[in-house]
Amino acid sequence: MKKEIEITAYKCKKCGKLHYPFHDRCLACRTREFETVKPSGNARLLTFTRIYNLPWGFDQRYLVIGVVEFENGIRAMGQIKVDESVKLKVGMTMLPSWEPVRVQYGENVYGLALAPLS
Amino acid sequence: MRDVAVIGVGMIPFGRRDEDSLMDMLAYASLKALDDAGLGDQSVDAVYVGNMGGGMLQHQSAIASSLVDRLSLLPAAADTVENGPASGGSAVKNGLLAVASGYYDTVLVVGGEKMREVTGWRATDFVATMTHPLAEYIYGVTLPGMAGMFTRLYMEKYGVTREALVAVAIKNQEMGGRNPYAHVEMSITKEGIYDDHASIVNNPVVADPLHLYDACPVSDGAAALILFPLEKLKNPAKPPVVIAGFGQATDTQTLQEREDPTDLKAVTLASQQALEMAKLKPSDIHVAELHDAFTILEIAESEHVGFFKKGEGAKAVLAGKTALGGTIPINVSGGLKARGHPVGATGVAQVVDIVYQLRHELPKNRQVKNAVNGLTVNFGGFGNNVLSFVLRRVS
Repeated sequence: MKKEIEITAYKCKKCGKLHYPFHDRCLACRTREFETVKPSGNARLLTFTRIYNLPWGFDQRYLVIGVVEFENGIRAMGQIKVDESVKLKVGMTMLPSWEPVRVQYGENVYGLALAPLS
Repeated sequence: MRDVAVIGVGMIPFGRRDEDSLMDMLAYASLKALDDAGLGDQSVDAVYVGNMGGGMLQHQSAIASSLVDRLSLLPAAADTVENGPASGGSAVKNGLLAVASGYYDTVLVVGGEKMREVTGWRATDFVATMTHPLAEYIYGVTLPGMAGMFTRLYMEKYGVTREALVAVAIKNQEMGGRNPYAHVEMSITKEGIYDDHASIVNNPVVADPLHLYDACPVSDGAAALILFPLEKLKNPAKPPVVIAGFGQATDTQTLQEREDPTDLKAVTLASQQALEMAKLKPSDIHVAELHDAFTILEIAESEHVGFFKKGEGAKAVLAGKTALGGTIPINVSGGLKARGHPVGATGVAQVVDIVYQLRHELPKNRQVKNAVNGLTVNFGGFGNNVLSFVLRRVS
């Protein structure tokens, strides 16, 4: 079953600045009132890297990490699920989903997964 | 505020030091600094220890308390300062403020880290714990990964080439070969790491577009210094060097929340504060130690400090302007790239290296001729907590 993307961003009620992750006070105006916003639509790839020296907890050869911007302006990091042969480019449209991104204590940890659309 | 002099410095060779514990390294560097200051059998008022990973890597806490006991510095005040890879710089800042305020006279600052005790897998994870737990860490991002994403953006925006990154690596490893304290003492050439088939094997990708030789090594090491009020210094044995300025600034924890992720605002602010306090301009600096954990950072920081305009740093490296004998020699010690990067030690080691330069006590193949003013940048997180110091030789 397709899982909902469990990212919640916070829009400042005073100045409208969008935050992800959470901050107790707005980074722009320092007020404390926010409305929650969920990411919407596809995402545009802002930057990415293929990491070959992985940290403890990842028993695989490489990991592709990217930062994207959703159609409603939320920016987030995620894992790009592609093999080495796929050529990525900044500006590509990515299909977001919520999938296992690592295993901790024998259990899947879910996070933002991305696949190139274009 | 009193002027604060660095009256003693000490460093031990960085590298893989299997025979020494973290406490051994902190003690050895501290004793060298005490001896250099002529305080061999005396105590100090306070000790600040910069360390990031003792709790995680050595399963040891309260490191400063342990060090004063080991060094027979009791009952000196003692604090451990943890601020990621800027722990050393933060320890120097704490010592500086303590002496400048008039509260303490003699302060020992020491930074150290023992990172090779664990596997590379574990060390990479340890360093990655400074990223945001939910928005970054869970994805497996590493500091080389953060640097890779930053490099991609910087290359696109400013036209930095891989050739320029390689030039930083070659320059700093050449200088590391001349530094007896450096972890990496091997000079390298462009052939074999950049433009021939062997480079695929010799210089593999670690986090594209960054390759192995773009990254600093994982090191063990320690460095120390003694701070003392300049006004009380009588007949110093060595040319006094003062910390004429310091600055510290922070930025968002995640790169994605920065309006322009290529803009290292905390570097700009911290170095501006340090230069303004010292009443100097970037062009007044004769030698600098910048935080080149990755080659791109030396280029980016050289621009953000104001040595070069944005987009000119890479050209400056390729033109030799940042080499010994250039207009602004950067990382003459070899930098993090070659001296090594035991995270808690780095901010202290940078200040120690500038003191060596300003005392004019290095051999000709490392000494910046007639250097009077030096600057450091200690870069914590991925630029989210940065310290800068300006040092000046007192005539």
